[in-house]
Amino acid sequence: MKIDTKQFGGMEIEESEIYTMPGGMPGFRGMKRFVIIERQEIWPFVCYQCLDDPGLSFYIMDPALFMPDYKLDMKQAILEAGWEGDRPEDIKLYVVVNTSAGVPEKITANLIGPLVVNMRRHEADQLVLHKSPYSHQHLIFSQPLSPPAKNKPMSREQAVPA
Amino acid sequence: MLVLTRKVGEKLLVGEDILVSVIEVNRGSVRLGVEAPQSVSILRFEVYERIQEENLNASQSVSPTDIQQAAAFWRQKGALQEKGQANED
Repeated sequence: MKIDTKQFGGMEIEESEIYTMPGGMPGFRGMKRFVIIERQEIWPFVCYQCLDDPGLSFYIMDPALFMPDYKLDMKQAILEAGWEGDRPEDIKLYVVVNTSAGVPEKITANLIGPLVVNMRRHEADQLVLHKSPYSHQHLIFSQPLSPPAKNKPMSREQAVPA
Repeated sequence: MLVLTRKVGEKLLVGEDILVSVIEVNRGSVRLGVEAPQSVSILRFEVYERIQEENLNASQSVSPTDIQQAAAFWRQKGALQEKGQANED
């Protein structure tokens, strides 16, 4: 089927690539159908495009890539999502990323609202972690990269264009 | 909105299986107990609001350029780390 996307324009997908979110996402309760778009130019980020509103999309990523010890109570997650009987192996974990600081280098990940995607049921759910040691704005690049060669070393704050 | 008065030790039944008890009242704070099936998530509303706000921001403020640049940073950082490890060897 043909779909419209925010970043990639029109594209062709298979019906089987659609994930349904029966409960929607906090802030977007009515938005139920999404597709995961993987593209080399944005890897390790992945686009989570809504089909009900082509203007709505998120960027998500696998938290294990920047935090290998990120932990989620998968049994509880399965219960909350209403997926009784499913195994943790059926479920892929993502977190939503955000550049609200306006600087790509300060991209953050929301670690208390993980997105669980059930590959077997083709359903997804965004959990809200109630007791969690994690931040909703975790800096993915926790150590700053050295800025491109400049005349003199600058602090991280100064290195960021206003 | 339904507004009603309960005393310490009294309870409220929401739906068929969610029981809310008033445990303690102390200087402007109310301690509540909630009994609900495991599949029901119970949240402090502030936490939910934070996720909601973060989602709204994420859907509006992240441009394709931002994400491509962040992806480029990621690759650059990976390359730096590999180089660092090679130097250590």
